[in-house]
Amino acid sequence: MSDQKENYFIYADPQKCLGCKSCELACGLVHAETDLFTAVLEGYKIRPRNRVVQAENVKVPLQCRQCEDAPCAQVCPSGAIGQRDGMVFLNRDLCIGCKSCAMVCPYGAIRVRSEAQGKGDGRIKRAKALKCDLCVEANGGIDGEACACVKACPTKAIALVDYEDLIQRSMEARAKEIAAVASGREK
Amino acid sequence: MNKEFSADQAVKQMLPFAKKAGVETVWDRFEKQQPQCGFGTLGICCRICWQGPCRIDPFGEGPSKGVCGADADTIVARNLIRGIAGGTAAHSDHGKHIALTLLEISEKKAEGYQIKDEAKLRSVADKLGLPQEGRDLYEVAGAVAEATLEDFFRKDESIHCSWFDKTLPKERVEKLEKLGVVPGNINGSIAEIMARTHIGTDADPVNLLLGGIKCALADYVGMALATDLSDAIFGTPTPVKTRANLGVIKEAAVNIAVHGHNPLLSELVCDLAAELNEEAIKAGAKDGINVVGVCCTGNEVMMRRGIPLATNFLSQELAVVTGALDAMVVDVQCIMPSLAAVKDCFHTELITTMPTCKISGATHVEFSTETAKESAGKIVKLAIEAYKRRNPAKVNLSDITQTAYAGFSTEAIVAALSAVDPNDPLKPLLDNIVNGNIRGVVLFAGCNNPNVVQDHAFTAIARELAAKNVLMLATGCGAGAFAKAGLMTPEATEAYAGDTLKAVLTAIGEAAGLSGPLPLILHMGSCVDNTRAVAVATALANKIGVDLDKLPVAASAPECMSEKAMAIGTWAVSLGLPTHLGVVPQILGSELVTKVLTEGVKDLTGGYFFVETEPKAAAAKLLGAIETRRAGLGI
Repeated sequence: MSDQKENYFIYADPQKCLGCKSCELACGLVHAETDLFTAVLEGYKIRPRNRVVQAENVKVPLQCRQCEDAPCAQVCPSGAIGQRDGMVFLNRDLCIGCKSCAMVCPYGAIRVRSEAQGKGDGRIKRAKALKCDLCVEANGGIDGEACACVKACPTKAIALVDYEDLIQRSMEARAKEIAAVASGREK
Repeated sequence: MNKEFSADQAVKQMLPFAKKAGVETVWDRFEKQQPQCGFGTLGICCRICWQGPCRIDPFGEGPSKGVCGADADTIVARNLIRGIAGGTAAHSDHGKHIALTLLEISEKKAEGYQIKDEAKLRSVADKLGLPQEGRDLYEVAGAVAEATLEDFFRKDESIHCSWFDKTLPKERVEKLEKLGVVPGNINGSIAEIMARTHIGTDADPVNLLLGGIKCALADYVGMALATDLSDAIFGTPTPVKTRANLGVIKEAAVNIAVHGHNPLLSELVCDLAAELNEEAIKAGAKDGINVVGVCCTGNEVMMRRGIPLATNFLSQELAVVTGALDAMVVDVQCIMPSLAAVKDCFHTELITTMPTCKISGATHVEFSTETAKESAGKIVKLAIEAYKRRNPAKVNLSDITQTAYAGFSTEAIVAALSAVDPNDPLKPLLDNIVNGNIRGVVLFAGCNNPNVVQDHAFTAIARELAAKNVLMLATGCGAGAFAKAGLMTPEATEAYAGDTLKAVLTAIGEAAGLSGPLPLILHMGSCVDNTRAVAVATALANKIGVDLDKLPVAASAPECMSEKAMAIGTWAVSLGLPTHLGVVPQILGSELVTKVLTEGVKDLTGGYFFVETEPKAAAAKLLGAIETRRAGLGI
């Protein structure tokens, strides 16, 4: 377990986000397994797993951070949420819609809603917890380039972050700066 | 190329050259724009005031109203009719330019322009009810110009535009008058759209759409007068055989492309090219000057002079990529600003001519009616100078062209029919529609749009309809698509027309002395010339005493994109035509607006829009619309 890879997660650069909500539309549509025109004409309620929020002058989409010690997984009474294959996986078949996960999520990234084409039968509304699944179902695995929100962002603000790759690149960038300063001194 | 961008063989041939030369084309930019914003796609983004921008959540979770309280219906309707106003402004500005030139001709101030078709001018004067007795040609021209300009500026807007009342069936005029949508003047109709869509003004989506219809009908007026006055000044087109596609650009010639819309420029460039031909030969171009057309001004000079058509809208950049285009001369509308960057990779002069249409990086030679000849001469000389700088290593000539027949003005069609029955020219056409040899008529119009494969839907739908014996007319970039595909030829009639359509086209063609059938699709001109088709339909409607919405006639714009197309489509529906769009219009964010335009409007005008992106299904629906009309007439 010691060399287990840290979870991937979606991150958006707030300096590049224009708040256009294209990522929300793309997320909702990919999970409804439909296209925009069909969804509108058929009256589907699409359910984005992300949400563009604004605080002060900063706009940015927020979605599941795929936490390590994930509060949602800790509180889920039905065992629907847990760590799996580099992400926090939500098994909707097990979800009972109790909203515990939504209450404890520090990012507000879990919503309990019925799916786009879902209808209740009088006893249940078929509401389930919904959160960013890194588009694994649509793409058959984690593929940063293929995530719907990543593809939809017109300013390339959104990316799938490979945590280890990120820190590696940060270290290399700082090391280059140090090297530049050092070589300047030598001259 | 993994993806098919175009059905045009020359485009397929040239795209690798563009890539090699580092030229970014419209298709590259289209890819970079993906995915395009869903809110804009649905028409539910409002940027009219600075409280916004506001967006409506199409799925009901987020905001259902903009900051001012406008809902999706209001926002979609406002956006749409502002587009219609844009299209109307573009067409009518073109028309006004022609009318003002006619006025200057009447005052003998427009050197370089004459009235080449006196009969047409006099027939227009008759149509407008202007007395001609004791008036010479110039006085008649002056009166026609003044009466026409009145349709732009009339003070009393309760009086109908003359070009509206005098060119449409009486029953249609009365029907539209009852709806309160008959324009009193063009400029006022455009201004009214801007006023009623201002923050806090008209919020009723249906009332907004009626305003859009009124403005679109003003667009019809602007187009009708632009076409007929152009005919008076430059001549009414008659059938002419020419060629189309990029192969018309020749190695041993100074190649000048005229691109844009208004014949005021392109006609003079053609005149001066002929005058200065020797200079080009002296410069080393043994074939002299070769003028070719792009887009609709290309259609204008193709119709009147048989000038070959290089290409249509979407592939305009590729004309430069041939490396043998010495000058691209542009006026207004549908000119990609990217041409400035493309020409930087070659020796080509990009010459802008209008004070309202400049492109940074281009050479500007201002064109005005008074100095038209001088400016046209300067432009041709710039092309000859550029020819001297042509780099043979960068020449990528295409060998692809097709024969194309153009020049089927209303008058030319009537003249061909007169050869069959001189006493009653419309009778042969009407008889064949009644007996079902011709099931109906479809007018193809509109643009190219990279949302679909260039030219593909046009040609695919046309082949289907031809086999089902539908008579087809085409204008604008649709006509360009057919010309490039070789469908505007007698051979295409032989190859694709159903038996009865083939027999009719052959009978008319042979009677008219063409020693073969008429082309499969009749080229009626540029996009501003769509009113020629209305003139034919109006003549048929008047002859049998029914309104336009009873005729088995439909319109199709498989690749619409411009605001002009929004205006044309809306007036086609307003005149009673079933109108096909092959590109999803930016209105789906409002269920109400979508329903009104595809269903509700039927009860008001008899026409309606339908959207079908798949060509075979579109052909079936067009045919269905025609058959419904036939059933209505009991034929």
